[in-house]
Amino acid sequence: MKIGKGLSTSYIVLGIVLIIIAAVAGYYAGLSAGKGVQVTTTTVLQTVTQTKTITETLGATTTTQTTTTTPTQTTTSTPTTTTPAKETKIVIGVTDKVTDLDPANAYDFYTWEVLSNIMEGLVKYKPGTTQIVPAIAERWEVKDNGKVWIFYLRKDVKFADGTPLTAKDVVRSIERVMRINGDPAWLVTSFVDKVEALDDYTVKFTLKKPVSYFLALVATPPYFPVHPAYNPDQVDSDQTAGGAGPYKIVKWVRDQELVLEVNPYYYGEKPKIQKVIIRFYKDATTLRLAIENGEIDIAWRTLRPIDIESLKNNPNLQVIEVPGAFIRYMILNCQMEPTNNKLVRQAIAAAIDRNDIAQRVFMGTVEPLYSLVPIGMWSHIDVFKEKYGDGNIELAKQLLAKAGYNENNKLKLELWYTPTHYGDTEADLAQVLKEQLEATGVIEVTIKSAEWTTYLDYTRKGMLMISLYGWYPDYIDPDDYLTPFLHSEANSWTGSGYSNPEVDKLLDEAAVKTDQNERAKYYEQVQKILAEDVPIIPLIQGKLFMVAKKDVGGIILDPTMLFRYYLLYWKS
Amino acid sequence: MGLGRFIAVRALLMIPTVLILLTFVFFVMRIIPGDPILAMVGMKAPPQRIEELRHMAGLDKPPYIQYIEYLWNVLHGDLGRSMIWGRRPVINEIMDRFPATLELTISAFTVSVLIGLLTGSMAALRKGSKTDTAMRLYGLIAWTLFIPWFGMMLQIVFGVWLHWLPIAGRIDPDLAPPRITGLYVLDSILTGRWDSLVSAIRYLILPSITLGVVLSGAYTRLVRNNLVEVFGQDYMTTYRAMGLPPKSLLRKALRNAFIPLITMMGLQFAILLAGAVLTETTFSWPGMGTFLLERIIYVDYTTVQGTIVFFALFVALINFIVDIIYAIIDPRVRY
Repeated sequence: MKIGKGLSTSYIVLGIVLIIIAAVAGYYAGLSAGKGVQVTTTTVLQTVTQTKTITETLGATTTTQTTTTTPTQTTTSTPTTTTPAKETKIVIGVTDKVTDLDPANAYDFYTWEVLSNIMEGLVKYKPGTTQIVPAIAERWEVKDNGKVWIFYLRKDVKFADGTPLTAKDVVRSIERVMRINGDPAWLVTSFVDKVEALDDYTVKFTLKKPVSYFLALVATPPYFPVHPAYNPDQVDSDQTAGGAGPYKIVKWVRDQELVLEVNPYYYGEKPKIQKVIIRFYKDATTLRLAIENGEIDIAWRTLRPIDIESLKNNPNLQVIEVPGAFIRYMILNCQMEPTNNKLVRQAIAAAIDRNDIAQRVFMGTVEPLYSLVPIGMWSHIDVFKEKYGDGNIELAKQLLAKAGYNENNKLKLELWYTPTHYGDTEADLAQVLKEQLEATGVIEVTIKSAEWTTYLDYTRKGMLMISLYGWYPDYIDPDDYLTPFLHSEANSWTGSGYSNPEVDKLLDEAAVKTDQNERAKYYEQVQKILAEDVPIIPLIQGKLFMVAKKDVGGIILDPTMLFRYYLLYWKS
Repeated sequence: MGLGRFIAVRALLMIPTVLILLTFVFFVMRIIPGDPILAMVGMKAPPQRIEELRHMAGLDKPPYIQYIEYLWNVLHGDLGRSMIWGRRPVINEIMDRFPATLELTISAFTVSVLIGLLTGSMAALRKGSKTDTAMRLYGLIAWTLFIPWFGMMLQIVFGVWLHWLPIAGRIDPDLAPPRITGLYVLDSILTGRWDSLVSAIRYLILPSITLGVVLSGAYTRLVRNNLVEVFGQDYMTTYRAMGLPPKSLLRKALRNAFIPLITMMGLQFAILLAGAVLTETTFSWPGMGTFLLERIIYVDYTTVQGTIVFFALFVALINFIVDIIYAIIDPRVRY
């Protein structure tokens, strides 16, 4: 039987499509390597694991790097969008999400970043530094030994619709945060007793006790004044009225896009870019393809290390790299056999090789960290390096021998990790740590894992011997890197059961002192005790990466980790 | 049994199906480890805060009470509020995303049926030839393609290399039409925004092909086997003897081969939704699939329950429609 004419044409078209598919499949054979072709499953739960498999494969295969770079070098980036003119618009792609456009409930870094562009607080950080400078408040006074703070507001501040911003708005916004009592409310409620407007341009805070780092707290979004349109008693997740920041929201489609335009009433210098569009991507691979395709001008959080390496070779793109304030560490249970033995904990600290972790697990996208206070923050000292060195197997063996362990009587440890919360590299991190500890010949490590919420639950209950965690700061101050981990009244979440009255006393005193140099001495002291007692072992500090088109200027990143859209411009 | 009664019985049968599923999902969510409150507040919240939130969400009550309360609310059309991020009503969360999934699903469904019919007919018309083998092989390969991988290949070829099509998203951010139905293609036509229509279609092509090709495999085989069977029938021999051209022969054969295909379409819809989860992730398509996946990870009880019930209702509805169409085409079913 013969087929009709129409069918034979379709046959040819289909044939071509199949050939293209086959050719591409061949080209990426290394990439798919056995796992590429799988049977489509019908249940949602099964597909979850499949997605993981493919990302793991990609993350682990080094061939991806070389194969995917080649095509990008030959193409030139042409934006798919044409209107309006290039100079006035920038498109930023992220894999993060905006959870809640309400500072009373938002408690994640990416949303805080967006809020920092559409709102402004009484004070803010000078871009590129961790130095606090005036914002809506032009000056402030500290009274009563740090218990009373008085802020004097600028008189020319307006919301994005032209409504003037006065002290009453500041008070209303902060009281609203306290009343709603959402996730980040503790940043206010734990410290502030009372906030009141003395007149239209003066705000007075009365604190529960003196807080030396109060300015760092005031710089966080829960202290941002919001427009009167925000529901006074309830979380207003999709409210776009914003505050008095350089930009205002003109369009918000959840999980899809956020469009910002210059706030015409902004008191400060107006942003050079009229319109900022944020597009939300579901995975890092798509984000990478989008910057290569030219669909976005900036690829922000979070690209995978392997993609960043490969994009560095693209002549049309620039890769920006700065230290971040994100730290990773392991928690040792001080109440459980055998890690309740200080010698055992010290031996573990000695055996770990952080440079090896940074290279093998994170491909150089992180820095080794030898204290809980991050590199670049005042009072930081490399206490663990000074005391134990790096990968000091000899010292580890000596300490273990002292604790009564040898080749015949090995120290048995359980190392826990959580597979998704900290990204695809987590299993590798656990594996490398196991290798390093076992290199002593005296330690035997069993790796265990649990999903995030279970992991948190086990940790709180003190059921984990050694667990891997990470920390994003709430406010930029050494206090936020020490008190939550080491103060016996604040560290129950770590499950370490660590308690040292001397540390508690030092931290309490440092928190009320106003002189930074004096405070630094306390924190240095605490870090030294940390290295001696080892309830927690710092591992690495994250870096921030951003990939942007070559002609994007004004990209300034700093440890606050908030990207300021209002500093961007197109290089002519 | 008349058609009216048939429809009524089918409609009533949907109720126990959805109820059983709802009960199942409710208890499975509570059996799997994890806690939505912990997932939301993370590690920093003090224990009393967690208790407070648990109380607010009603999670401190015994599961059976929670179940009865939940069921009562669902029967009154209230799916409750999400447990994380702003605690928005579940129905709003679903309605924000459902049009995206529906648009993708319809489009991918069309692609898959078209490819299936084309390849299946080609194979059947040249039974035993190389074309037949090639098409059967295509059916097999398409069915086993891994969506994220196949989608990425298309993104690389048509997005990064050729610059023909966008990689991810639903529409150019500047061109989104005002929301009427939430289906961008339809909204663009309704509002007469032709630039939006072009943009929406351009964004729709790659995800639809990805999902469409993968699902077409089953149709290829089904169409081929049915056609081969029909071609073997006596009446087809008669037609052939009458000297009808191959095109009209195919048309007559397809009409008869269509009945099992319709049943398959109903069943495929469930698989289509499952495939949409992966496709949506690959193309950052802001639909229900990625949403459900995200909320399963955060053990957001109410949202997962609500979304699954919604999915179930949707699939049940499609199958209901299929049953009716089936009954109209083939009256034997009713008797």
